[in-house]
Amino acid sequence: MRLENNLREFRFHHNEISQQDLANEVGVTRLTIHSIETGKFNPSTLLALKIAKFFNANLEDIFYLVEDEQEK
Amino acid sequence: MSKNKTIMRITNIIFGFLAVTLFIFNFFVLIRLQPKMINFEGISEFENGLLTAVGFNLLVILVFYLLSLWHFVRYLRNAEAIKPLPLFLVISGVLSLLFIFSDIALLTDIHKQYLNGLSQPEWRMVFPIMAGQFTVTLLFLFVQITDRYKIKSDHHPVRDINIFLILQYVGVISGVMGLALASLAFFFPSGWNLTTHGVLGGIVLLFPYGLALLYWLFTKFQEGDRQWFDEKQSQDIGKSALMTLIVTTLLMLILFISYLWNLSPVVQMVWLPIHLYATILIFSIGNLYLNKKG
Repeated sequence: MRLENNLREFRFHHNEISQQDLANEVGVTRLTIHSIETGKFNPSTLLALKIAKFFNANLEDIFYLVEDEQEK
Repeated sequence: MSKNKTIMRITNIIFGFLAVTLFIFNFFVLIRLQPKMINFEGISEFENGLLTAVGFNLLVILVFYLLSLWHFVRYLRNAEAIKPLPLFLVISGVLSLLFIFSDIALLTDIHKQYLNGLSQPEWRMVFPIMAGQFTVTLLFLFVQITDRYKIKSDHHPVRDINIFLILQYVGVISGVMGLALASLAFFFPSGWNLTTHGVLGGIVLLFPYGLALLYWLFTKFQEGDRQWFDEKQSQDIGKSALMTLIVTTLLMLILFISYLWNLSPVVQMVWLPIHLYATILIFSIGNLYLNKKG
């Protein structure tokens, strides 16, 4: 299973907030947000919760699990 | 534009014009003295004074490089991303700054060899290096005059990444040049001196890295967070550190085995510089690679 996310979509619906501004809000670097969006880095629970809190959304709305083809 | 930024910009431009003028003066003096020194003709006290002035001028030019680098780094701190051109300016500035020390060393050697009646092959290196530095000086002055890379705001990112990456780029430059300098000991064992090349060379080569490191530390204290890195950075630094440990251990092992039965004085002198520069180089490359990879 792997973790995927709708972060790009959430940013878009949040006045197209930039990666840097979101990074500033949750206290990480711009590249961390970029890596999460492109699925190259899985955030910690704390960071995922901070992001969800910022967007005033449920954690599962932003982050969700996807089953790998091999596991099916 | 705030008052401080205006003062800084004017200071940079003044130093820029001064640096260009001093370079022209240096070229004029060196072109005039080169044939005399090569042919071991006498040089007057006044000409000797001019040669001393050349060395002093190089120090003023060094100040201009430092001021320009300070400006570019401050610009990059607030920039959205590190774009190729500002990065090129930083790299060329660091190299030009390092070559100021090599200019001084070459001119000192030339003068000593002239006094002792020895040939001065160093002349072949002096002019191309200075021409490169002059080009960089003109470029920096152009950038300052056109105000191309303005420091947009004093609103820094909550957590820095750009200064950290610049530190890695400077680490690559210092690491590569340091390894090159240390490797010379294997090719010219009699000419390589521990005090001059090992200690003094090391101080010079690590000078820009030390400055970048200090500025990065300053940004960390400004951030005021107990954790210096975010989770992605911590992961990347951990991976780079592991890679550095493996590669430098292997490198030192190879060096140790190669000279196990024939411990030369060269290895006794250069093992620490090689270890130090290799560590900086591999750690910096690792961080840059992982950052690029995302």
